[in-house]
Formats: sequence, C-alpha cells, structure tokens
Amino acid sequence: MSGRVIVITSGKGGVGKTTTNANIGTALASMGKKVVMIDTDLGLRNLDLLLGLENRIVYTIVDVVEERCKLKQALVKDKKNPNLCLLAAAQTRDKTAVTEEQLKDICEKLKKDFDFILVDCPAGIEQGFQNAVAGASEAIVVTTPEMSAVRDADRIIGLLEAKEEIKSYKLLLNRVRPNLIESKDMMSVEDVVEILSAELIGIIPEDTGIITSTNKGEPIVNDSKSLAGKAYMNVAKRIMGEEVPFLNIEEPKGVLARVKKFFSGLAGKEK
Amino acid sequence: MIFANLYNKVLGFFRRTEQEQTESAKDTACNRLRVVLMQDRTNLTPELMERMRKELVELLSKYVEMDKEALELNLEQDGEQVALMLSIPVIRARDEEEIKAALEKEDAGETEETSDEEQEEAESEEKSEDESEDEPDEEETPDIAEEVKPKKTKKSD
Repeated sequence: MSGRVIVITSGKGGVGKTTTNANIGTALASMGKKVVMIDTDLGLRNLDLLLGLENRIVYTIVDVVEERCKLKQALVKDKKNPNLCLLAAAQTRDKTAVTEEQLKDICEKLKKDFDFILVDCPAGIEQGFQNAVAGASEAIVVTTPEMSAVRDADRIIGLLEAKEEIKSYKLLLNRVRPNLIESKDMMSVEDVVEILSAELIGIIPEDTGIITSTNKGEPIVNDSKSLAGKAYMNVAKRIMGEEVPFLNIEEPKGVLARVKKFFSGLAGKEK
Repeated sequence: MIFANLYNKVLGFFRRTEQEQTESAKDTACNRLRVVLMQDRTNLTPELMERMRKELVELLSKYVEMDKEALELNLEQDGEQVALMLSIPVIRARDEEEIKAALEKEDAGETEETSDEEQEEAESEEKSEDESEDEPDEEETPDIAEEVKPKKTKKSD
C-alpha cells in the first residue's frame, strides 16, 4: 500500500484547518479507508480535542522522533472507527522538536499501512509550516471569504507552488455565509476562486453545529442532517476522485422565504 | 423608530436596486485584495518601492522641477488591470538650458552603456515636454507589468 499524504494548511489561524482535518479524516474512514491524521502543531495541539481523543494520548510525535516509543504505539485509534488513527502533537514542546526530515520519514513509514495521511499544519509560514509540508505530495488550502484569510492563502499557495514535492493543491472555502453573499457584504465563492485562481475542492457553509460538535468532540460529518457535515462528506468523495456537484448552500428563495425574512428582520429590530 | 424601520423594510422589500448604486462591501474587498495581492506577489518590498521612487525623482528632476516629497508611486487597481501609478506634482518645467546642463553633467559623469539609452529617452521626453508641463503624470511601467504577468499565468496552470 502506498498512501496519499495530504497537508491541510491555511496560513491564517482560526479558519478551520483542524476542523477540516478532523472531518475529512472521519469521512474518509467512514468510507472504509485507512486514515491517519498527524497533528504537527507542536505546543498548540487541538486535533485530539476535536476528535474527543484527548484522554487517550499516551505518546506523541516527539516521543516517536526521540525514540521513546515505536511509531505504531503512538497511534491513537478513534473511538468509533478503527480505520481512523491520530498521531498527536506534543503539548509541552515547540516547533523545533521535530525536523522536516523526521516528518518526511514518519510519512514514508505510515504510507505503507494507510490509504491517507492527513497532516494538520500549524498557522503561519515558519518552520512549523515547512515541517508539515515536508512529507506531503498534495495540499488542501483552507480559507474563508475574508480579506485577511484570502491574502494569507495566496501567500501559502505561492509557497506551495515553489515546492517540488507538492504535486497539487486545492482550495477549501470555509465558513461561507450565503445571506451575506447575497446582500453583497461578503465575497462570493466565485470571487475568491477568481482572485486566488485555484481549483476548488469544497465549499463549507457557516454552521453553528460546528461549535456543538467541537464541544462534544465529535466531527460534524457524523451528523448526516447537518449541511456542513454533508459538505465535508462531499470533500472526502472528491478526494477519492468522485465527481460530486457543489452543494446548494443558498437559503431558500421565493416570495414565501422573502416574506419570512421580512418579518424575522422586523422582530429582530424591535428588540 | 419602529415605523421608520417598517418603512425602510417595506421599501426595500419592493425595490432592491438601491444598494446596488454604491460600491458594495464585497466589491471593495475584491478590489483591495487584488491590489494587495499584486504587491505581495511581486517582489516589490516597500524598500524597493521607495528606491524606485527616489530613482524616479532623480531622473525626472532633470526635466521638471517638482515637489519631491509629494511624488507618489503606487500599485493601483485600474479596471481589470493593476497599474503602477505615478503622480508627480510639477512646480514648473525646467528651461532648455537647465536641462542641457543637467544632461551634460550626467554625460560627463558616466561613460557606461546605459547612458546612450538614457540620452534617447531624454530626447524623446524633451519633445513632449510642453504637454507634460502641468498635468500630474500617470504612467505604467511596462517592465513591471511584464514581471508580474508570468507569475499570474503560472498560477492558473
């Protein structure tokens, strides 16, 4: 087996890299693929929390690198899906504890046993980013339709293009708010795609369900009713090579919807 | 208050064209982003821009007397294209003798290959001197545009 190594990166923090990682990983595993997620955000680990695995971590990636345990011992299995594993970051160390070469080496080893290796990249463009990208051959650039996030994504795309090992990168537009796009207060999906001239792999609508799912430590893809969950599932399908049309995330239109919006807006103002 | 809200809401409900008159927040964002990304993508750091500004001041002050501090050099969005905008507040055009003196001084100082080119440039500008007298010049530097374009096309690959 020779797995695909995909780094999930963004430049800017807080745009949803880790959430994306947890959800795509869970989705791919639910489709029967063997998936391992590597949290490379040393010192600021969070992927364990989103997966609800924070209490199960015994060894971290730093323990592997410093040979206090074997690679397989450090892999934490997901509660629900045995196909899904996590290699956690160390919380007490900084980005210098692991080198590019070491990460490359870990990815090479994991490729033999897993279909997908998803690398969760820290924010920024410093060594942490360089490390995370080192072992990957594909990248997903997460951004939101906000100026600062798009600018940082552009910077990341520039850096990815300069890396020979990265064969392809795709854009994932997160936290899209259709009503703001409709009122022309927010950049549309098309605007962002045009500005960054990158291929799109997913559009994830803003969803309050993400907050509750994070709080519970259960990725939102497990909730088949949630729109964001469906959108993440579609991203996983596209990664697998399936052609899936982008979800219609627009709010229902038509006279009735407009009348409803009219009254809900009034009620809001009266308060 | 509520009535005013109601009135606006009703108006907005039937006529939705009003907001399209002014530039929307999204358009502002797009335009600002295009400019800032152009700056990010080129290797023109603020220091380089400042150097370019100084060099332009030096070059142009041979021909016109201008407010050196007020010369502005910026990348700006101009419709679909990003242009290098140069705004020069001209105080007065130099007379022929001043220009000659400046050029002679330069020729005496330099014997490099570039001086020929500069001479040519100087001559052509001398001819059009009258027109450019009091309008702030806005010009595009083709070199920059060329440097930028391949990067853009590389992206879409």
